[in-house]
Amino acid sequence: MGQSSRLADRKRNLTPLIFSVSQYPPKLSEIIDLFEHLPEEEKRENLIAYADQAKNQAPRDGEIFDLEDIRKDEECTDTVGVFLRVNDQGGAHFRISLGPQVQTLTKAMTAILCKGLEAVPVQEILDVESDFVPKLVGGELVRVRSQTVYYILTRMKSACKVWLNRQRAAAHS
Amino acid sequence: MPTEYAHPEALVSTDWLAAHLNDPDIRIVESNEDVLLYSTGHIPGAVHIDWRSDLQDDIIRDYISPDKFATVASKNGITPETTIVFYGDKSNWWATYALWAFRLFGHEKVKVLNGGRDKWIAERREITREKPAITPTTYPVPALRLDKEIRAFYEDALGHSKNHLPLIDVRSPGEFKGDITHMPEYPQEGVLRGGHIPGANSIPWKTAANDDGTFKSAEELTKIYTEGVGLQPNDDIIAYCRIGERSSHTWFVLKYLLGYEKVRNYDGSWTEWGNRVGSPIEKGI
Repeated sequence: MGQSSRLADRKRNLTPLIFSVSQYPPKLSEIIDLFEHLPEEEKRENLIAYADQAKNQAPRDGEIFDLEDIRKDEECTDTVGVFLRVNDQGGAHFRISLGPQVQTLTKAMTAILCKGLEAVPVQEILDVESDFVPKLVGGELVRVRSQTVYYILTRMKSACKVWLNRQRAAAHS
Repeated sequence: MPTEYAHPEALVSTDWLAAHLNDPDIRIVESNEDVLLYSTGHIPGAVHIDWRSDLQDDIIRDYISPDKFATVASKNGITPETTIVFYGDKSNWWATYALWAFRLFGHEKVKVLNGGRDKWIAERREITREKPAITPTTYPVPALRLDKEIRAFYEDALGHSKNHLPLIDVRSPGEFKGDITHMPEYPQEGVLRGGHIPGANSIPWKTAANDDGTFKSAEELTKIYTEGVGLQPNDDIIAYCRIGERSSHTWFVLKYLLGYEKVRNYDGSWTEWGNRVGSPIEKGI
């Protein structure tokens, strides 16, 4: 067997791994499907519309949460608060507060994720891959300086992980 | 000590701009780090020029060619006679970067809105989401890019280091010392080594700006750069940061506000120097 055919075989064997498709929660999947088929300009308009909704995701007076995580991390330009409530069926409900210096893309992602992950089981949120982000945002906008677009999902997962660990610790005590 | 900027005409106030929104000889250009910020609302009549997609080459790390620059200028209704007022977020980092890039192509009539976008918004002045209707122009293709005049490359910075010529490192003290390899509050931008170019002076860009994003006074700037660093009128100065945007701010200060004739921006900056095999590095103060 020649070198080129061996390489072709290896490439064929790797293909299913490289191109495996992530599964997303249904509401998030709907949003991804919508964005994926939009031209760049409409994608931006929709991101702005979502960014406008970000302020509606902040906690409201009287709401009680199972976990509150408010902090200013090195890699983000302002404070982000993640508030998690888990319902009796194990579904997550998020509220997120954003400082005024947070970038527009981060605001958009906040509204998208709060909607897309509404009532999704905590464990499933931990399994959500971040590879959908370029599909929403478009390749041109995913830049080194815009990497905080991934930040909100990371913070939501972090809250879920802490909540799960607490539940497990409580179950064993 | 000077009480006026060397080129006061290079700065405009928010009042001045508000009175010139409909001036046909002026084009207002917004340039931001936040890629969607312009779309959330901008100064009426302003166009958006993106530091990456409009001013940089798609493939290689370099600026656009003169013919592409002519296309960008033409589609934004700019002619060589147009006075461009640049403004943006982050205390005008990207506004001065865009201004510097326009100067690379020889566009002479350039100004900066003092205080940038934040000051305009803080003063509750009008913003709109409506994109201006621009009549395209035909900007002549510049004969060349002024790389030699206002842009420094690795070899230039190395020469300055070896010959003890003025190098201004405008990054944060932590980056200069090599304690961190990213900007505070920013993700890692892929630099393998921390520290600074040997012999560089640490003058963070922020020392030139007030808390509201406006530039400090001529007296204050003279104290910082002329007295503090000891820069002489005929010095050959190179400023650098990580990718050239914060150093554009300092370049503007040195060139237009303090009047140094020979100032260049090393846009390769630390993301080139800190990654390049064999480049000499100093750590600590």
